[in-house]
Amino acid sequence: MTANDADTPPAAGPSWLERVARKRWARWLVVLLVLPTLALIALALYLAHVFMEDEPVVYAKIEEHFKYGSTGGERESGFPYWIFQALPQVCALHLPGPGYASLGFTYEEGKDLPVGMSRRRYQGIDRTFLNCAVCHASTVRDSPEAKPRVYLGMPANTFNVWRFQKFLFDCAKDPRSSAEYVVPAIDRLMREKGERLGLVDRYLVYPVAIAIVRERLLMLRGRFEPLLPYPEWGPGRVDTFNAAKILFNFPLDQLPEHEKNGPSDFPSIWLQQPRKGKQLHWDGNNTVVEERNKSAAFGTGTTPPTIDLAAIGRVENWLLTLEPPKYPYPIDAAKAARGAPVYQRYCASCHGANGRDFSGEYVGKVTPIDVIGTDRRRLDTYTYDLAVNQSTLYAGYPWRFQHFRKTFGYANMPLDGLWLRGPYLHNGSVPSVRDLLEPASRRPPLFYRGNDVYDPASLGFVSNVPAVGERVFFKFDTAVPGNANVGHEGKAYGTELPPEDKDALVEYLKTF
Amino acid sequence: MDAERTPGSWKRKILVAVVVLVVVGVAGGVFTWYKFFREEPQPEWITKDPDMRFKYGSIGAERESGIPYWIFYVLPRMFPDKLPKPGGLAALGVSWEQGQELPIGFTQKVVGFPRVANNCASCHAASYRTSLTENPVFVGAGPGHTLYLEGIFRFLVDCAKDPRFNADNIMREIKLVTNLSWIDRQIYRFLLIPITKKRLLERETQFAWVYRKDLPDWGRGRDDAMNLTKYFLLKLPMDNSTGPTDMLPIWNLKKYDREGTTMNWAGDSHDSYSVIIDSALGVIGAAPKNKTEFLDEVKWLQQYLREKAPPKFPFPINDQLAETGKGIFDANCAGCHASDKTGKRMPLAAVGTDPERIWTWTKDNAVAANKAVRGFGIERKGLVEESLVGYNAPFLDGLWLRAPYLHNGSVPTVRDLLTPPDQRPKLFWRGYNLYDPVNLGFVSQGEEAKYVGTRYDTTQRATGNQGHAFGTELSPADKDALIEYLKTL
Repeated sequence: MTANDADTPPAAGPSWLERVARKRWARWLVVLLVLPTLALIALALYLAHVFMEDEPVVYAKIEEHFKYGSTGGERESGFPYWIFQALPQVCALHLPGPGYASLGFTYEEGKDLPVGMSRRRYQGIDRTFLNCAVCHASTVRDSPEAKPRVYLGMPANTFNVWRFQKFLFDCAKDPRSSAEYVVPAIDRLMREKGERLGLVDRYLVYPVAIAIVRERLLMLRGRFEPLLPYPEWGPGRVDTFNAAKILFNFPLDQLPEHEKNGPSDFPSIWLQQPRKGKQLHWDGNNTVVEERNKSAAFGTGTTPPTIDLAAIGRVENWLLTLEPPKYPYPIDAAKAARGAPVYQRYCASCHGANGRDFSGEYVGKVTPIDVIGTDRRRLDTYTYDLAVNQSTLYAGYPWRFQHFRKTFGYANMPLDGLWLRGPYLHNGSVPSVRDLLEPASRRPPLFYRGNDVYDPASLGFVSNVPAVGERVFFKFDTAVPGNANVGHEGKAYGTELPPEDKDALVEYLKTF
Repeated sequence: MDAERTPGSWKRKILVAVVVLVVVGVAGGVFTWYKFFREEPQPEWITKDPDMRFKYGSIGAERESGIPYWIFYVLPRMFPDKLPKPGGLAALGVSWEQGQELPIGFTQKVVGFPRVANNCASCHAASYRTSLTENPVFVGAGPGHTLYLEGIFRFLVDCAKDPRFNADNIMREIKLVTNLSWIDRQIYRFLLIPITKKRLLERETQFAWVYRKDLPDWGRGRDDAMNLTKYFLLKLPMDNSTGPTDMLPIWNLKKYDREGTTMNWAGDSHDSYSVIIDSALGVIGAAPKNKTEFLDEVKWLQQYLREKAPPKFPFPINDQLAETGKGIFDANCAGCHASDKTGKRMPLAAVGTDPERIWTWTKDNAVAANKAVRGFGIERKGLVEESLVGYNAPFLDGLWLRAPYLHNGSVPTVRDLLTPPDQRPKLFWRGYNLYDPVNLGFVSQGEEAKYVGTRYDTTQRATGNQGHAFGTELSPADKDALIEYLKTL
C-alpha cells in the first residue's frame, strides 16, 4: 500500500470487507449474528411501545368525561380492567348482592363500568379506577318503582365506599382471588363479549397482575386494619382524613381514640367559583379550591407524578360554574314566599343570601365547635400534625400544598342545590331539612340511609324504609360515636319556630 | 509504506486523542460539578426576610451533613415504626408552621442536588398555644422546648440500620412522590442511597451514649450539649457522664455585652460570637468549607440575635399586682437575676441544683475544643478554660417562655419553682405547648400532655429538681404578685 490509499481507497481493488463477504461461512455468520439482533431490537421496540402506552378513554362531552373520564389514577392505582370485572364473580360471597351495583355504584344502561370509574390503557393493559364522580354523583327516584335519574355533582348517597373497601380487602385475602380462579373468570367474561384471552395474557400477564393486585390490596388493608373494627360508615359517607393519614403511613393503631373513625357525608360540588377563598371541607381546613381538588384526587388513586392535570382541569373548570339541578317537584310559591323572610332572619348570615348568592358575614367561615354544638368526631380526626404533613404534598411542584390549616369548628356552607344534599349536617345524621329544624331530641334517632327515593314533603330522601326489594338500606344509629345528631339547634337555628314557619322555610329552601 | 506517513499521522492521532480526552474530561467534570457540587442560592422569601432567614436559612450544613431531599422526604413514611407516635416528623416535636414544606430549623438547599440540613432554629424556636382552640404561635430564637432532639438522632440512625433502607424500597417510595429524571434516579440508586446509609451508620458509634439504657432519656426540649461536643468534635471515648439541659432562648443577645458575663448554663463559653461559632460547627459537623462565608453568616446571626426582642406575654397582666410584685422581685430575686451578678458564674453550693451537668465538662475539654476550632483557622475567644464551679445566674428576659425551669428543666412552672423543692412535681410531661398563664409554664399533666410529651421523672440521674429554694417561703399573696411581675419580663 502507498500513502495514496488513504485518499482514494476504492481504487485499490476489493477491500478486506468485500473479500471476507465473499466467503460462504461469512454469509451464515451475518445471518446468525444480524437476524437475532434485529429480532431483539424489534422485541425491544415492541416492549417499549407497550410500556409507553398511556391512553385514557376520552370523552368529548364534559358530563361523560366527569362520569367516566380519567384523573390519572389508573396509572398508579388502577385495577387491570378484566381483573376488576372478575372479582365480583370469584368473590361473590363477599358482596351483599349481585355485582358492584350491590355496593351502591350507579350503573347506566349499556355501560360496563359504573359512574365514577374510568378506563385507561397503560403499559400494555387496560386499567380502571375511581374518579371524582364516584363520590359526587348519584340518583333520585320519584317512587320506589320509578327509574332512577342520575344527577351529577350531588353527594353519592347510595355509594357505600366502606363496603367497597371491605369487599376488596376480603377478596384479596380469599384464596378465590388467586389466578387459578380469576383467570378462568376473565376468560369467561371475555368470551361473553366475543373477545379472546391470549396465551401470554393467560399464562403470564394476568397471573402476575393478579398477584400484584392482591399484594397491594393486602398492604393497604394492613394500613387500614386498626380502623376496620369501627362502626360501618354507611352509604354516602367516608372517613376522609384518616385516609389521608394512611397516605403518610401514620400507624393508625397509635392514634388517640378521639381521632379514630370520623366519617362525614360526601359534599355536593357545584358552583365552585363563588366558593373560592371560602373555608372548604366540613371543618374549613383549606381555602384554595384547586388544592382541595388535588387533595381529593388522592382518593382517585393519583400521585403527584401520575395525576392527569389536563383531565382533572377539565372537571375543575366545569365545576366552577356548574349549577345544581332544579328542584323537580311542585313548589307552593306563596308558601315559599312566606319562608323567604324567615330564611333571611335565621339562616342568611351563615348560609348566604340565597341559593346562588353566597354573600353573608359568616358564610364559608368556621363556627367554633362549642357554638355549633354538632358531633365533634370529624373535627377531631383532622389534626395539626396532619396539616403540616400535608404541606409536603406535591413537594417540588409549583402547586405544593400550602393552605391546609387545623381549625376548631365546622364551616358554614352555602346551600345551593340543598334538596339533593340530604341527609344533613356534616355527618349526615339528620335525614331531612324538616328534621333539622327540630331540636335534636325530636330528630329521628334511627333511620335508613342509601335510599334514592325522594320525599318532597320533608326535603330529603326517604329514610324510614329498611329495604325495597333487593335494595337493602343502611340502618343509621345516631347513638354510635361520630353519628350524633345534636347541635345546630336552639332559637338562633330556627328549631323553636312555629311549625308553619318551619314548613314555609322548607318550601323556600326548595328554590335553592 | 506505512512508515512514511507515521510521524504526521501519529501526531494527529495523539492530538485528536488529547482533544477527545480533554473534552470528555471537561464534560465529565462539568457534569460532576453540576450534579454534585453546584450551589444554588436559597429562594428570596428566605434570604430577604431576616426572620425567615433565621428559621429556614442555610448556615452551610448541607454540604457535609445534608441528607438528599427525597430520602429525607420518604423516611418518615417508610419507617413510622421508628417514630414515637403517628405524625411523621411532627411526632418528634419539631416546630412546624402550617403551610411550610419543612419544619423550622430544617433548611433545603441545592448542592448538586436538593439536600436537607439544619440551622440554629431547629433547637432555638419555641411554640406555644394560648388555648386548646388556637393554633400554635412560633417564636424564633425561643427555647425549643417541644423538640425531641434525641429522637431525631435515633430516628435517622435507626432507619439506616434497618434492612428496608435499601435502594429498591427507597426508589419505590420516591417514585410515588416525584418524577426524577433517569440520570437522577441512577444517581440516587447507586450513589446517594448507599452513601447516605453509610454516613448515617457512621454516626451510630458517636451516638452510642444516646442508646444507653442506664442513662435517662433527654426527652423533649433538652440535649446533652457538652457530651455532644466531646464525642463529635473531640472524638473522645464515651465516659459515664450525663447532663442534658434545656434548650436556651437566644434572643436579645446584646445583654451579654456586659463585661464578665459568660454563656451557656454553666458559663462555659466567653461570648455570643464564640457560642454561635461552636454551635454552628456542631450543626455543620465539620470544618466549614469556606471560612469567610461561614464567619459572615455567624456575624449576621449574632447581629440578628443581639437585637431580637423576647416575646411579650400573650395574656392580660394585672398592672397593679405586677407593680406590687416588682417590689418583691427587687427584694428577693434581683440580687442574682437583675444585678451585676447576672449572666455570671455562681458557685453550685449557693444554689444547690442538680450537679451532673457540671460533671460532663472539664478544663481539659475546653482547652482541647478551643484548639480544635483554632485548627479550622477560626479565631474566637472561645470556651472558658477553667473547671466549672456551678451554673450561671440567668437573665430572665422572656421568662414566661423559658419553661420548664432550672437548667435541667426539672420544674414545670414558675409557681412550682416558688414551692419548696420536696413539694415540686416529681413526675410530669414535657413538650406540650399549651400555655398555663396562671402558673407560668406549660401544661404538664393530663391526657394531652402525656400523649404529646415525654415523661420527666425527677428521681433519675441529672433530672433532680432540688435547689433554688429562693422565694419558696413567700406568702401565697406575695407569690401571686411576684408571678404577675415576672410576666412582664
